[in-house]
Amino acid sequence: MRIGATVLLIDGQCYQSYGWLKMRPLGCLEHVIEILDEYQCDEISIIRPVRYGDSLVSLAQDLAVLKNINTMTPLSFGGGLRSKESLQMLGDSPVERLVFSSAFLNKDATLIKHAVDLFGHQAIQCLLPCKMEDGRLMVYACDKGEFILSENVDFDFIDKWANEIIYHDVLNEGLNNAFDFTLLDNSIFHHSRIIISGGIGHANIKIANEKLCASVLIDNKVLHKECSIKGYRNA
Amino acid sequence: MPVDILDVGSGNISSIQNWIERANVSTRIVTKSTGIKSDLLILPGVGSAGSYMERLKKGGFDQAILEHVDKGKRLLGICLGFQLMGLSSEEDGGVEGLGILNGSVTKLDLTLSHNSWENFKFNRDDLCDQSFNSNRKLTRKKKIDGRVFFNHEYGFLNQDENVFNKSISPEYAKYSSMVVKDNIIGIQFHPEKSQRTGLELISMIL
Repeated sequence: MRIGATVLLIDGQCYQSYGWLKMRPLGCLEHVIEILDEYQCDEISIIRPVRYGDSLVSLAQDLAVLKNINTMTPLSFGGGLRSKESLQMLGDSPVERLVFSSAFLNKDATLIKHAVDLFGHQAIQCLLPCKMEDGRLMVYACDKGEFILSENVDFDFIDKWANEIIYHDVLNEGLNNAFDFTLLDNSIFHHSRIIISGGIGHANIKIANEKLCASVLIDNKVLHKECSIKGYRNA
Repeated sequence: MPVDILDVGSGNISSIQNWIERANVSTRIVTKSTGIKSDLLILPGVGSAGSYMERLKKGGFDQAILEHVDKGKRLLGICLGFQLMGLSSEEDGGVEGLGILNGSVTKLDLTLSHNSWENFKFNRDDLCDQSFNSNRKLTRKKKIDGRVFFNHEYGFLNQDENVFNKSISPEYAKYSSMVVKDNIIGIQFHPEKSQRTGLELISMIL
């Protein structure tokens, strides 16, 4: 199982998000990636937490920051990849994998097919920001800015087009050992394709390992030396 | 002389560029088939096989690569770039490769994909009759004992006994991780994203 980190990128700066509401600034992307590189983090997922609308100008500003990153750690990138133009803008960025959320919820096969042509099917990840409410799985539709019932999500479409699926626990992100594994209870996906994120701690990593999950993405607290990746490897 | 990196419009070119330049060797991005000048050409690869091969052919890069190899110059293929050096690939309903290496590419049979770090132990002496033909002598190191990053859904099945062929892992034993034949090197993993091991390897190759 891979042990990686999630990094939120807003206006060129990194943040830790708590409970999908509060943001704690962490500094510039270059510095954050440098530290994670030093820890030999297995992978880094850089997410722009775009809610409601987005503009290509805003995406271009964040990509300009991303393109200056010189790292030898695998990177995935997502947030605001909603058009062919946005994919073309990724051309000379140091990312291997792309993270889509709205495109999957809206079943935008044209866009995802274009991404497959450019980056390959192995590069496509689906992000499902989700929570349990009254025993039902709710998924956050980023472009609409609201949670929708999982019944309204076409999981077969995701199964076809995504290589891996990220279940991001929006209620527990930023907390320790709080990832809600019931989010995976009725998942149609084999665990070897599932990445869990949000509120990950040592005990969660142990469970994810037993469940044979593909990867865990630890919140930005890995930036603190005392919580370095090495410690998580021995979880 | 700088290392040429072929850019046919797919991703991760800058990662390859960073990787080479970390070894203090300059690079040049080649976007035209007539632009290949270096002794070492890198064929990076992310994308789908059909679309990538189409772009290679459209730009006349397929012939340019073959001419480069025929002149005895070195070619390094990475991931999809490596796979397309073979005879054929099952991807996208079947794609004819460049035919530089005797092998074919099939869908991985154990899992949908192999997205993982694997141990990588390598001794330059194991190359036996083969060689990286490195001319910069950046390192005297002979052994690598580290880890490398894989991200692929298809694997290369080597069919040539007269090459150096290293398998991915005991689990993926029939698929090649690295193939070396004369002036040609194929690598299935992403050395540019394999941290310290990737750097050690490029110092040996260059």
